[in-house]
Amino acid sequence: MSDSGPPEEPRWSGANTVWSIIGTMLAGVLAWGFIGWLLDRWLGTSFLVAVGIIVGMAGAFYLIIKRYGSG
Amino acid sequence: MNLPTLPLAREGFQAPGIEIFEWPDIVHLEVAGIDLSINRVVLQMFLVGLLVWGLFFFAFRSPKLVPSGLQNLMEMFVDFIRNQIVLEVIGRDGLRFLPYLTTLFVFVLFGNLGGTFPVILFPLNGRMALPAVMAICSLLLFISVGISSQGFAYFKNALFPPGIPWPVYVLLTPIEFVSTFIVRPVTLAIRLLANMIAGHLILSVFFVATGYMLTSGNFSMVFGIGSLIFSVALIAFELFVAGLQAYVFTILSAVYIAGALEPEH
Repeated sequence: MSDSGPPEEPRWSGANTVWSIIGTMLAGVLAWGFIGWLLDRWLGTSFLVAVGIIVGMAGAFYLIIKRYGSG
Repeated sequence: MNLPTLPLAREGFQAPGIEIFEWPDIVHLEVAGIDLSINRVVLQMFLVGLLVWGLFFFAFRSPKLVPSGLQNLMEMFVDFIRNQIVLEVIGRDGLRFLPYLTTLFVFVLFGNLGGTFPVILFPLNGRMALPAVMAICSLLLFISVGISSQGFAYFKNALFPPGIPWPVYVLLTPIEFVSTFIVRPVTLAIRLLANMIAGHLILSVFFVATGYMLTSGNFSMVFGIGSLIFSVALIAFELFVAGLQAYVFTILSAVYIAGALEPEH
């Protein structure tokens, strides 16, 4: 039956989800990349910025799955 | 422009580049080390501000029950924002943001339309200043809406998403902070800016190239006619983009306000 599905989503909701996922991924890379870069400067190393970017990506994926995954 | 290479660029067609966004100062003004010079873009900003103020002022100075003329037109804008954005995204609770969102929409729209308006032919939002300031306005607005509707629990709700084991917050809270308070306004501003820059560049390149080909006096004139027709189609497309980007800017501001009104579930 067609009316047994979930209530109708507003039209803007799909576009907003897409933008918020892009924003979260960008934020993950930026936030942890920046923390890694700061640690690099502090410790005199040069690999922590890469570690930070990967950690940030993983965190962003986790957040996105948690928020939209069960959809 | 002293590039010795590129033999094709030695003379003839010069495509307009990003320098068409630079305008010389008309009035040079500096107050306490801050550059307040007035150039063409600033004048256009004053003009659009005055125009938007005037349109609303004269439309609703003595409103009639059965609107006509200017009041009719401006009520169309208000109704559009009210029904398509505020009620759709925020709900009845959001009607108190209708004045802000309507002004935002109309101002962004008229700023964008400058890009295709004869004589002016410059999109106001093709310079970073205005998109940036409007994005900061929306940022400050949704933060204050969050604080006034949830108190300081707003920051707790925004930074610590529910349903997550607490050690993971070390990982996620910086991401949530950057995504809510930095990425949101930055993408809001850049989306508008980049669309306007791209549109203005495309129109400029097409019209300069059309003029160049039509006056070339050789076989290129045939292509010039095709490019002229396409240029006109591009104007229509730019009109569409002007409206679309004003709509996107406004609806995303509304989405952020709606997100600040009640905690995530």
